[in-house]
Amino acid sequence: MPIRIGLFWALFVASVKMFVRNRVALFFSLFLPLVIMVIFGVLNFGSGTTVTLGVVDEARSDASTTLLSALRGIDSFEITEGSHDEEIAQLEQGHRAVVLTIPAGYELRPGGAQLLAETSTAQAQQAQIGALLLNQAVSQAMFGQAGGGTTPPVRVEQVNARDLGYIDFLVPGVLGLTIMNLGLFGVAFGFVQLKRTGTLRRLFATPTPPAYFLGAQVASRLVLGLIQVLILLLIGIAFGLHLIGSVALILLVALLGAVIFLAMGFAIAGWAKNEDQAAPVANLVSLPMLFLSGTFFSRDAMPDVLASITSYLPLTYLNDALRRIANDGAGLGDLGGDLLGMAAWAIVAFLIAVRLFSWE
Amino acid sequence: MTLPSLAAPAPRAPRAPLGKPIITVADLRKRYGTLTAVDGVSFEVAEGEVFGILGPNGAGKTTTLEMIEGMRPIDEGQATIDEVDVRADPREVKRRIGIQLQASAFFDELNLRELLHLFGRLYERNVDADALLADVELNEKASSTVKTLSGGQKQRFSIAAALVNDPRVLFLDEPTTGLDPQARRHLWELIRRLRERGHTVILTTHYMEEAEELCDRVAIMDRGRIVALDTPQALIDALVERGFRKQRVERLANLEDVFIDLTGHDLREDE
Repeated sequence: MPIRIGLFWALFVASVKMFVRNRVALFFSLFLPLVIMVIFGVLNFGSGTTVTLGVVDEARSDASTTLLSALRGIDSFEITEGSHDEEIAQLEQGHRAVVLTIPAGYELRPGGAQLLAETSTAQAQQAQIGALLLNQAVSQAMFGQAGGGTTPPVRVEQVNARDLGYIDFLVPGVLGLTIMNLGLFGVAFGFVQLKRTGTLRRLFATPTPPAYFLGAQVASRLVLGLIQVLILLLIGIAFGLHLIGSVALILLVALLGAVIFLAMGFAIAGWAKNEDQAAPVANLVSLPMLFLSGTFFSRDAMPDVLASITSYLPLTYLNDALRRIANDGAGLGDLGGDLLGMAAWAIVAFLIAVRLFSWE
Repeated sequence: MTLPSLAAPAPRAPRAPLGKPIITVADLRKRYGTLTAVDGVSFEVAEGEVFGILGPNGAGKTTTLEMIEGMRPIDEGQATIDEVDVRADPREVKRRIGIQLQASAFFDELNLRELLHLFGRLYERNVDADALLADVELNEKASSTVKTLSGGQKQRFSIAAALVNDPRVLFLDEPTTGLDPQARRHLWELIRRLRERGHTVILTTHYMEEAEELCDRVAIMDRGRIVALDTPQALIDALVERGFRKQRVERLANLEDVFIDLTGHDLREDE
């Protein structure tokens, strides 16, 4: 059978009209993400008390080991180790507040060589706290108590870093959340309602194959989803988002994410008989991801086991890819892992949808 | 579409002798597990006829209709509409018929005009939505949504939507259930006008006086079978012939006549 473009277009236009005129759908898809962005942006939840500390151990001695274990005992530090170049690069990208270098031949005694702490201008507050904590910790390690020598044991230098604020973390997360909700809630609820009220049955009383309606619904949701992403990006920029990467790539990744969550939405809508059945399942799928996929808060603070399990969630892949494009300017080639993960989820979700879907 | 206007009700034409059949149903069956919902139903409907299917709830009326309409797979038997075999080509059948479902809803976000245009597109036709709405006396509601309509208006719109492809056969599943007496009589007028215009109508109903008023012939169904099929008058005559007499003497009027006399035929849809 030839594909009837005119028929598809009519259904597509009707589908867009219905979405735009549905105040509830508009609220959840556009207004709610905006409110989340404003609330989280204003409250600035991201600025916790943890200080990301990169340690460059050039000494590799007993002294440096002692110092490191002392630093690891301080809860406020989130410590990573690496070469100076690596750690400074991370700091410049906004991922470290302080980089501490332990020079070769360092000895843990008063009057010896100074440690070098390079602090990020972008995370001034955390950097300041970090430098303070470092001085305290090193003094303590030297004397067994705070205070002591005249020269502070740590020399502090500022390094210019990209001024990544919480908004830069938040916006990609909100984009991911919006795409998830578009599929899980927009489709699941809207479609189940059409099913329950008999609207779908009425469509099947016409000679148009149901696939046309389904196709038009998917196409309209994808287009509307991309428009939403663009609007939210613009609002994000107004709030101070630094958009480093390509907008086209963000849209491409958003599209792949939308395919995953639309398929999940249709799986739920196809299985459920009414909204009361769809709601708990949609929430069961979305809520864990809302908290575990790095939507509002960094996944760095998670226990390792949880972090590694949740790294396979579809929203984690989506958020991570969006964030790397927006914050680090990642290109298509840098996103291999995320794209692969998302493609796998898209296939799984599609197969589940096909298996569970029923029109009645 | 170039159709004669339906706005002015024509006087009721004398019943023409039955023409050639436009619907043929032979030994139709449908099973759900151990339940046989439709158990060997056969009948013919002549072109231009108003054919009623009566029966208690669960008798298999809707299932029978839905199988003939191509909305539900036929387990056994055959149905032909306008010389198209329903089992072989349900899509072609749907192209030629108009369906009003018992419980059908329309998109809440589109107005009546947009809905009719959209339904026209589903038949790949460009419809004159306003003319169709005028046919069912809803032209003033063209820019309203379905959820703002009264019960009778909803049913009339539902019929307008079933007319977008100018179907030869119109299926109406309990079109007057839940309507007040005025709205029901109003819908009867509309169905009579559709008949005058040459549409064949198949309808189901729980109201016997409605079947008597509208139907040329009725089939009475029970437990998935047709237990009687004839003109309403012939069925009544047969019963009387078997010696049946009403307990009470036939009254010259009933309570519905009183109600209509006091409250008038006019629709009260603006309330």
